[in-house]
Amino acid sequence: MARFAGGKAPFLRISDQPNQGTGIIMRDFMIGLAPVILFSWYKNGIQVMIDGNIGFFEMLYPLIFILLGGLMSLIMEGITLYIIHPDSRSLKGVMAKLSTSYPMVPGLLLAMVLPLYTPVWVLIFGCFMGTVVGKMLFGGFGHNIFNPALIGYLTIAVTLTGVINAAGGVFNASEVLVDSYAGATPLTLLSRIKELDYDKLVAPYGTLWNFFLGTIPGALAETGALAILVSYGWLVYRKVIKWFTPLIYVGTVFVLSWFIGIASGEPGIWFPLYSILSGGLMFGAVFMATEPVTTPRNPLGKVVFALFLGVFTVLFRYISTLPEGVATSIVFLNIFTMPIDNWTAVIRARGIKKQTAIKASVFAVLFIALVLYAILKAGSMYTAFIQGPIGIGGWF
Amino acid sequence: MLFRKIKGVRIEGNKQMSRCAPLRDYLDPPVVSIPLLQGMSVLKPAVEVGANVKIGDIIAYREGFGAMPIHASIAGKVTAIKKVWHASGRMVEAVEIENDHSGALSDSIQPEKNPDGLDKEALIQKMIDAGLSGLGGAGFPTYIKYQTKCPIDTVIINAIECEPYLTCDFLMSIKYPEKLVKGLHYFMKAAGAEKGVIAYKAYNQAVEDAVKPYLERFPEITTFPLKDVYPAGWEKYVTEAVTGKTYPKLPSQVGVIVNNAGTAIAYADMVENNIPLIARNITITGEGITNPQNFYVPFGIKVAELVALCGGYQEGLDPKYAWYIAGGPMTGKAILIDDLVVNDTLGAVIVIPTPKEKLHPECLGCGKCADACPAFLTPTEIKRAYDMKDETAIRNLQADKCIACGLCSYVCPSHIEITDAVVKARDSLKKGA
Repeated sequence: MARFAGGKAPFLRISDQPNQGTGIIMRDFMIGLAPVILFSWYKNGIQVMIDGNIGFFEMLYPLIFILLGGLMSLIMEGITLYIIHPDSRSLKGVMAKLSTSYPMVPGLLLAMVLPLYTPVWVLIFGCFMGTVVGKMLFGGFGHNIFNPALIGYLTIAVTLTGVINAAGGVFNASEVLVDSYAGATPLTLLSRIKELDYDKLVAPYGTLWNFFLGTIPGALAETGALAILVSYGWLVYRKVIKWFTPLIYVGTVFVLSWFIGIASGEPGIWFPLYSILSGGLMFGAVFMATEPVTTPRNPLGKVVFALFLGVFTVLFRYISTLPEGVATSIVFLNIFTMPIDNWTAVIRARGIKKQTAIKASVFAVLFIALVLYAILKAGSMYTAFIQGPIGIGGWF
Repeated sequence: MLFRKIKGVRIEGNKQMSRCAPLRDYLDPPVVSIPLLQGMSVLKPAVEVGANVKIGDIIAYREGFGAMPIHASIAGKVTAIKKVWHASGRMVEAVEIENDHSGALSDSIQPEKNPDGLDKEALIQKMIDAGLSGLGGAGFPTYIKYQTKCPIDTVIINAIECEPYLTCDFLMSIKYPEKLVKGLHYFMKAAGAEKGVIAYKAYNQAVEDAVKPYLERFPEITTFPLKDVYPAGWEKYVTEAVTGKTYPKLPSQVGVIVNNAGTAIAYADMVENNIPLIARNITITGEGITNPQNFYVPFGIKVAELVALCGGYQEGLDPKYAWYIAGGPMTGKAILIDDLVVNDTLGAVIVIPTPKEKLHPECLGCGKCADACPAFLTPTEIKRAYDMKDETAIRNLQADKCIACGLCSYVCPSHIEITDAVVKARDSLKKGA
């Protein structure tokens, strides 16, 4: 009679198979970043060198900058672990912890949403805020409430935008020379002129095709919609992210922008397209809104989360003074991940019944109210249409 | 609804190991120990030590819920009532019978003269007399299903066997297709149902080929192939796939009864020959078994005997680094000592080496568990509620709907014992109620 090992059902696990498990998911995520990083390198480095505006070493700078973000983040997480964790007071202990906490990701993502000429010390400061404050102080991988990269980004955006602009901002050496850009990215232009006019918003950057390809001014990696779509395809194929989260997010912004356009007398399809292709929306939808730790776990929760993200992005973008709405709305909704997850889990388990109707209708009413508010408010900002004939724009 | 269709997960079957070996009868072991436990009820023995019993004699009674008699599976002398290891992972009392190899049958085992003339009551009474309980794994007394007050229109025979490694239901179905069809026919009469369906996994075309010749006599019986996903054999999944209807608690609420293929075959014997439930099919398989096989064995036989018939454990198998699983690999129990007897719910014994230890990160919140859950639960939320001992939250999250299929742990990339946590949360509700 032999004594066998103990264990718990099920005895088959995907994570026990070779080439499966969280490590592989994170590896696939990193691979998913590659097309975007390469595009950013091409746009801000290689192409500029071909234009003859920078030398060889400056050509490498965008790539180095992004990798530096990852490295800084890794170093900071290592130091934090060394300080706060009693059982990792040795290099080996720290390495063991680092191998399962994927420390490079926040820094990489942060560097990718920063302008090209961000001073390195600003990047390091952002990595500190993201990794140490945004991730490690919450308890490290799996426990953080806010997206670490976006914590770093928002801190920089709020406190150090002036420093970045003084150092050169988003314009690479070729873009500075283009007169029609007039020192503005599409979204800063929109918040500056407050008018929906194709000739003023899109024409300075060429056509919408340029928006799609990403050859417009913007932060390092956020402009290349095409490259982001390639990443999206890969991440969905490898089941790293859910296919519908980015789609619903971008879709909501698209539909809402269209309504806003119609409300302000600009029914053309170009405006919603312009809305989803400018700024960091695509990047945020694929890489940040799907970030597993800080977003709801169950599929229904993901849907609700993405819908609200869409509305809040529109609200922040057209109503707040910040030109960007993506980072703010994602971090803002991160706060509500737990309640959304909990409520949708209950709704999903029971179906919509008497007991869950209240929860479901709270979501629905809130969503509809926000949508209406966004359309009325944003529509009224761009035209007198609503204020004039209907006369309710002034209420808000 | 987009998010309420049971998807299931495709799991590598590993069935080829024991699929090709034919079902082997092994009905005359030297000794059997019939455990005095069925489901949660402890049985009351009805024989004294030293008594002589024949095959089919009553040796114990199940009392309370699902009351029915339990029968001797071999003929011989009752030598002891002592504790043995049971598939539930505990030691339970068992009636030990030493075989006298006479093969004497109880007087009650006689061919029924006119099985087709039996009415609904008589057919249900036969289930009780024969001690018929489900052979699928839950061991639910079959007659309780048929005493329902809901009108039944369909009886589904579940020959799906969705768990990996298991093959004995498949082999049973292709060995006794006539009994399978007849058992279903009698089940339909007992339920007053007009339709009968034999559900099988689409790649097991052999099942359909085997039963087809017998279906000509029973035009109201059809076959239904199901996708190769886990848990396709779950009552709710089968019912939804076959009838398109979904029910809140029991299949009878939508007029359906689901029975296992093995149960139907046993029932055909009961109706026609009055043979009680004394034997079942079992798969002995896994990478740790030299020559995996399927057996048809009497209750109470020692599994070690069957393992020896399979050529014993694989050479070089270190028991310290191997699991000895009673039941399927998704829902079974790891038994620490390989001294187990076959009871009515034990469909398989699987011996597999444990996988290599890996360093696993914490929960990353990917939500794959919620995605895979066939009951639409969110395991991460239930685990959190359970960790905080928040009973209201556990109830709100419908933890009682968990069927312990094991999919959440199976898909978890961080190797978290999430099934265990959800099942514990579910059971904490039962204790409270």
